Amino acid sequence: MGSPFVIKIRAFMNYIFGILFLYIGISCGTGDAYVNVAPNELLPVTVPSNFPPLVYDIEKNPPTRYGVELGKKLFYDGKLSANGFISCGFCHEQRFAFTHHGHQFSHGINDREGTRNTPSIANMAYFSEFAWDGAASHLDLFPIIPITSEVEMGETMNGVLQKLQRDDTYQQAFDAAFEEGGINYENFFKALAQFMVVLVSSNSKYDKYVRAEEGGTLTARELKGLELFREKCASCHATDLFSDGSFRNNGLPPHPIVNDLGRAEVSGSANDNYTFKVPSLRNVALTAPYMHDGRFGSLEAVLNFYENGVQDSPTLDPLLKTENTLGIALTEVEKQALIAFLGTLTDEEFITDKRFAEY
Amino acid sequence: MKTLYKLSLFLFLYTLVVACSNNDDELTGTGTLNIEFDNSIAGNDLILGTPNDPNSQDETLTINRLNYIVSNFMLTDEAGNVFTYPKEESYFIISEETGQTEVTLTNVPAGTYTAVTFGIGVDQEKYLQGAEEQGDLLTEAENTDMMWSWLTGYKFLNFEGTFTSSTVATPTEFKIHMGSHGSALDNYKETTLQLSANNRVLVSSTITSTIHLVVDANNILDGDHKISLSEQAVVMVSEEKSPKIAENTKKMFRVDHVHNGNGGSH
Repeated sequence: MGSPFVIKIRAFMNYIFGILFLYIGISCGTGDAYVNVAPNELLPVTVPSNFPPLVYDIEKNPPTRYGVELGKKLFYDGKLSANGFISCGFCHEQRFAFTHHGHQFSHGINDREGTRNTPSIANMAYFSEFAWDGAASHLDLFPIIPITSEVEMGETMNGVLQKLQRDDTYQQAFDAAFEEGGINYENFFKALAQFMVVLVSSNSKYDKYVRAEEGGTLTARELKGLELFREKCASCHATDLFSDGSFRNNGLPPHPIVNDLGRAEVSGSANDNYTFKVPSLRNVALTAPYMHDGRFGSLEAVLNFYENGVQDSPTLDPLLKTENTLGIALTEVEKQALIAFLGTLTDEEFITDKRFAEY
Repeated sequence: MKTLYKLSLFLFLYTLVVACSNNDDELTGTGTLNIEFDNSIAGNDLILGTPNDPNSQDETLTINRLNYIVSNFMLTDEAGNVFTYPKEESYFIISEETGQTEVTLTNVPAGTYTAVTFGIGVDQEKYLQGAEEQGDLLTEAENTDMMWSWLTGYKFLNFEGTFTSSTVATPTEFKIHMGSHGSALDNYKETTLQLSANNRVLVSSTITSTIHLVVDANNILDGDHKISLSEQAVVMVSEEKSPKIAENTKKMFRVDHVHNGNGGSH
């Protein structure tokens, strides 16, 4: 019975089924609240073989895929500031090893200027105190300083959380990142800390040299610089973090207007006057300007200062003071060798790593 | 028959006595204990925005803010056993301006307590737990101006207002912010207040009691250590003065009286 009528019926039925299938397809594709999310996973944390042990308690806040993603999202989000534009990444730019290149004093909200130069963010999980004066003694709580500072992000913590709570994307991101999800202080700080914990710079030419890896060949001048560095600089810029994490007065003449007391602002102790945290020298060739107040534009200027600019004061670090001389004796040739060596601390992988990039 | 009657009467009375004495002696279950922080100044009620009598340093203070953190509550019973309130729930902000002046401890084991111990401020251990466990305390601290943002910690005491003295004629602002100085100086203190024989506090599933503390704000500047506002009106981080203020603050609490069994009304 292949009559045209039957064929028409079949064609009609096919059409109906087709529509039905199409419809089911659409409803599956756009079904509300159906989001295909892969389960969260722990990210491995390996301590580079030339590094000291971790300080940050990974057990309490282990970095996870979604935790770090959320931390990065927060790091680059202007919502953390009062005007919605100043993110952490505004002053901490990856290509300059997370510093604010070209800015002596970092400027924040409404173009207000602070009094200190943005420090690099790298290997934070290996330090126990943060900021130039050690105002934070736990990495998790550090972000309170820039977020609430009137010259940086000018927000309140409650204000930030309220903005995030109104954002569906963040609600999902927080829920995905943490078993006990929800947008709260704990998860907010944990996510940012996870991002900072994975910001590890450990693959410079120098690292490859000390680990005897491929690509780790230093030139004669760089080797000379390393030798000088170990002799004249490494007592403060210690370990392969290139900082012992201590607070010291390096003899920088105080800025006459700012008169930043450094660590003493936190401790209230005159013994700490003009002491600042010894900065790491990783990626130092990229992080100009230098010193806590960014007064020096080049590494040459820094070395010239150590050679003949160190000023005596009651809190000057004893390592910079011998019987008759202040500072560190350096010849021009030695300075050039030191600068060549410092260049080997630049970690291209770190500054181009997509995992850390804003875009 | 008469013997039986006597015996049953005896048994009845005995049961009654035993049952009654059981009711008196055995505090069972867990209960709630309130601790009222009644802020005062040199024997008078503390009224924000009102000038007080001059203190022993001849400084007249008008207090506009008195906020402080109390924490890590412990109770000692008659046998000397110590009940430590769960640490994660043991941080409270007392704030005269918000009227938040009572600490409520729940699920306290029944007993007769003879002493209460608590901290003033936030201990380093808590701080070093990082984001974990800070949550609610940070929110509350920010709301009551007790978050020490540039020190990423807590103000243990926020005591503000204006003052005049023999050398300072026009009312001048004073600000006393006391807390730990990062890792450099720990200003967290603990105090133990004894509950005298007639002020024992009872806790059980049926008895909710209140320890009424009187807090003398005068002690902050005018205690064992004399802190002169005329000399320095803003003290935030001072290696010399901040620990003295912490010591003074620790001693501003005393037990005034105890209410056993009538809950929060007193």
